[in-house]
Amino acid sequence: MPSLIKALNSQVGRKIMTGITGIGLMLFLIGHLAGNFSIFGEAEAFNKYTHTLESLGPLLYLIEAGLAFFFLYHAILGISIWRQRKKARPEGYDTYRTKGGPSHQTLASKSMIYTGIIILVFLVLHIWHFKFGPSYTTMVDGTEMRDLRRLVIEEFTNPLVAFGYIGVLALAILHLAHGAWSAFTSLGMKHGETSKKVQFGAYIFAIVLMLGFIFIPLYIFLTGGEGSLIAY
Amino acid sequence: MSKEMTIHLKYWKQNGPNAKGYFEEYTLDSVNEHMSFLEMLDVLNEELMLAGKEPVEFDYDCREGICGSCNLVINGQAHGPKERVAACQLHMRNYSDGDHITIEPPRAAAFPVIKDLVVDRNAFDRIIEAGGYVSVKTGSAPEANAIPIEKEDADTAFDYATCIGCGACVAACPNASASLFTGAKIAHLNKLPQGEVERKNRVVAMVDQMKEEGFGDCSNYAECEAVCPVGISISAIAEMRRDYMKAVMSGD
Amino acid sequence: MKLDSKVPGGPLQEKWDKHIKDINLVAPNNKRKFEIIVVGTGLAGGAAAASFAELGYNVRSFCIQDSARRAHSIAAQGGINAAKNYPNDGDSIWRLFYDTIKGGDYRSREANVYRLAQVSNEIIDQAVAQGVPFAREYGGTLANRSFGGAQVSRTFYARGQTGQQLLLGAYQAMMRQVHSGKIKYHPRHEMLDVVVIDGQARGIITRDLVSGELCRWEADAVVLATGGYGNVFYLSTNAKNSNVTAAWRAHKRGAAFANPCYVQVHPTCIPVSGDYQSKLTLMSESLRNDGRVWVPRKKGDDRHPNDIPEDERYYYLEERYPSFGNLVPRDVASRNAKMVCDDGLGVGETGLAVYLDFRDAIKRDGKDTISAKYGNLFEMYENITGENPYERPMRIYPAVHYTMGGLWVDYNLETTIPGLFAAGEANFSDHGANRLGASALMQGLSDGYFVLPYTIGDYLAKQEPGKRYGTDHEAFAEAESEAQAQIDKLLNIDGDRTIIDFHRELGKIVWDKIGIARNAEGLKQAIQEIRALREEFWQNVKVPGEKNNYNKYLEFAARVADFFELAELMAEDALDREESAGCHLREEYQTEEGEALRNDEDYSYVAAWEYKGLNGKLEEELHKEDLEFEFVELKQRSYK
Repeated sequence: MPSLIKALNSQVGRKIMTGITGIGLMLFLIGHLAGNFSIFGEAEAFNKYTHTLESLGPLLYLIEAGLAFFFLYHAILGISIWRQRKKARPEGYDTYRTKGGPSHQTLASKSMIYTGIIILVFLVLHIWHFKFGPSYTTMVDGTEMRDLRRLVIEEFTNPLVAFGYIGVLALAILHLAHGAWSAFTSLGMKHGETSKKVQFGAYIFAIVLMLGFIFIPLYIFLTGGEGSLIAY
Repeated sequence: MSKEMTIHLKYWKQNGPNAKGYFEEYTLDSVNEHMSFLEMLDVLNEELMLAGKEPVEFDYDCREGICGSCNLVINGQAHGPKERVAACQLHMRNYSDGDHITIEPPRAAAFPVIKDLVVDRNAFDRIIEAGGYVSVKTGSAPEANAIPIEKEDADTAFDYATCIGCGACVAACPNASASLFTGAKIAHLNKLPQGEVERKNRVVAMVDQMKEEGFGDCSNYAECEAVCPVGISISAIAEMRRDYMKAVMSGD
Repeated sequence: MKLDSKVPGGPLQEKWDKHIKDINLVAPNNKRKFEIIVVGTGLAGGAAAASFAELGYNVRSFCIQDSARRAHSIAAQGGINAAKNYPNDGDSIWRLFYDTIKGGDYRSREANVYRLAQVSNEIIDQAVAQGVPFAREYGGTLANRSFGGAQVSRTFYARGQTGQQLLLGAYQAMMRQVHSGKIKYHPRHEMLDVVVIDGQARGIITRDLVSGELCRWEADAVVLATGGYGNVFYLSTNAKNSNVTAAWRAHKRGAAFANPCYVQVHPTCIPVSGDYQSKLTLMSESLRNDGRVWVPRKKGDDRHPNDIPEDERYYYLEERYPSFGNLVPRDVASRNAKMVCDDGLGVGETGLAVYLDFRDAIKRDGKDTISAKYGNLFEMYENITGENPYERPMRIYPAVHYTMGGLWVDYNLETTIPGLFAAGEANFSDHGANRLGASALMQGLSDGYFVLPYTIGDYLAKQEPGKRYGTDHEAFAEAESEAQAQIDKLLNIDGDRTIIDFHRELGKIVWDKIGIARNAEGLKQAIQEIRALREEFWQNVKVPGEKNNYNKYLEFAARVADFFELAELMAEDALDREESAGCHLREEYQTEEGEALRNDEDYSYVAAWEYKGLNGKLEEELHKEDLEFEFVELKQRSYK
């Protein structure tokens, strides 16, 4: 049997790993959104939540390293697959069109590399914004902690940032709509009734998840950071 | 009486593997609706030859959709607009008077052009060579009914085994992947007890060869299934992936 | 030339086993030193190449297609016979043998046919072991069906694609040996000549169809598994590239050609729709189980078929053959279709078609039942014709399908050139004057898997291992330069008529005069017309392109040139055979009821023709191999 490295580099292995990392990232996003929603909870819940994360110490670094690995692996595979496609077809067609029917060639599937790259660039900005952005502090129950809530509200009242986020998150719907179905297909899901349900579920999942993310910048921007949902 | 029509053709010309290709155009004035697409090209060539020009080369043999020789990309679709037929079974009644038709060879690095619309698909032979068989010597077979096979399994194996090896899947895949072709043979043989014995080595060897030949990865576009003249499902690719995972997990 | 069939003595049932016991073997260390060329990768060629390589011989395999998997065996639909007797319906090796020899109208060699029936069971075992997905019963055992009017269910099948599945099995076995290095694989190579040195076949000349280069290949033995010559008719159910060139060129080097006039015409094909038509498509004859064949009683009745009332319909098969009705054998059904069309009763735009009507079957069993049985065939028909057979009767017409004639071979499948073997449809085979349904696949695989691997060893055992003359030998140089000269000649004619134009006209002569029904006058005319057209071909054909490049029309030109010569031999052979047998119907020799009338007294022989030269006319010498029937009694076929 092939060595693990060889297996991971095979055309099946690459796709399986794209799927596994993709599923991992989707799970992370679910957690991320749940955490984000604490901004609508009781006062300082959001800061307490982020503080808890930060106080994990070395464990957090491990989690962050893991996440970074998943993101990078996923991105590198995606880019590598896209580059192989150029190599596998150096001369393109004059005319090309899908035959429809069982084909999954949609706006979503065709734009994976583009939405993926946009998400990658966004990710750098996102981390730069919030993780390495201005470090306000606040006192909660006698503990000094980072006031990330203030930063979030500040940033999202800026129309450029708010709509930048909303735009990228909207594009991420496309990436997830194909990705969530494709990940399971890469892991061996057959084409049939289940697959159809999974594809439908993937659309719903992508839309619900991203609308969830979008809601925060949109709400903050529309209310100027003073909406009643955000507790003080 | 049958209908005649005018068809404007634009087709790929390339004098050899290393020559630069280009499109040539020609208008056919009396295309009969009952002609097959390839018969229409025969008529084109007859006209070209009588005019002292070079005919356009294209691959064909059985002209009934089973040999897999023809592999034209017609207006951007492998085997043309009709579902579940090879180009040789496409009839001109699917077109209308005055239509423009662009004909290209399948484009893939693993399928280099030999001349015009004719390409070299021996990469497929080499994928089969890597493991697409059951290692049984002539004469050493047990009695045919010795191993009963569930009808459902036999039928499923048959569905995968109907691949005609035309390469439409590669032609239509945005990544030029050979996963449907490779997966179909793996799924056919691995589904049967006779093929089961070598399933691990088979899947690994064939998947490696597919990469070796320079095909692209599969991104689950499923366009291959849409163009497959015998309608092989991308479940074949799922079977291939499952078997590959099992082979790797099992270690030995 | 002396024809020695080399049939071993003894009781029929023991001949083959005795032969295997008696023949010489090649020692394993010597097998490595021998090289065998196999031309063609269909059932016979693919199976032979794989089996030789498994035995340890070095094999070179050639095919004209871009891959071995495209050989025309792939198109066989129906099934493959074997005497397994799984349904317990009284089948046996003897019965399969008897049915085959009777079906061939007693014009085949007893011993060969018996051997075919004998190994038929092993073929099924072999195919199943290779992973051929035959149809199965719910209990998991193999399914059988009755086919082509057989009284027992002995046909194994894989939906309507049995040929494809068996071919892929052979192809895969072959690719396994390509992988092991025992087979050197040369697709897109066309054999243009066989090289004979000191009276033995020692190699071949091929044209690399991609580069146009001529290549010389030396070997210790050569196997031709190059298929049949049905394309001499221009329109046939054969694939476009099927041709007689390899066999014909071997014939011109000294291999006798046997029974060229035995050509099978299949009754249920989709009719010709126009001049542009390039091939004919067969539909399984199982359609005749439920469809009723008819034509209007009135000439030129152009009403919609559904508007023609019952009493104005002529169900000619049912009326003429009350006991078999629509299920008469292929030759009888074909002949009758032609007869009613010749009488002006044919239907459709060309008048060359009869109706195959499912109206009554649909009324009786319901549309769903009919659709379950024939759905894919109906779909295929609708795709090709644009007409819906559920609503309007199908139009069908006979088409050339299989050629029983071919290179003469002895019991070892060796031609009259020592070291040159012929297998599958390329040899004159075991089908006599008519082949039964589902027996072509059986014969191809029998030759390839179970006969040649033994008999070629017997030949090689008598040869000096590793002996090489070198491809510089003058015989190679001469054969190559002759092939080159023909190519140059064809390219230099630069005439006014295209190759297809000539081929179509040749096909029409052969179809009209050497087709379903023949007579002396027509055959003599045919010979004159063929000669004249051949003359014109060599002066006025237009072959485009270059010789040193891929050039499909150049390939065709050379093949059509050979068809022109073969066609004349077919007419000679048909003229010589002053009897009717199987597919060969001489109008002068019929029973009072219009049935084929054999003349066992004078014509119970294989006609093996020896090439003597071509000088405006084809010169051939007839040799007769008398057929002796020790074990079966000759009877007149009757389907009344």
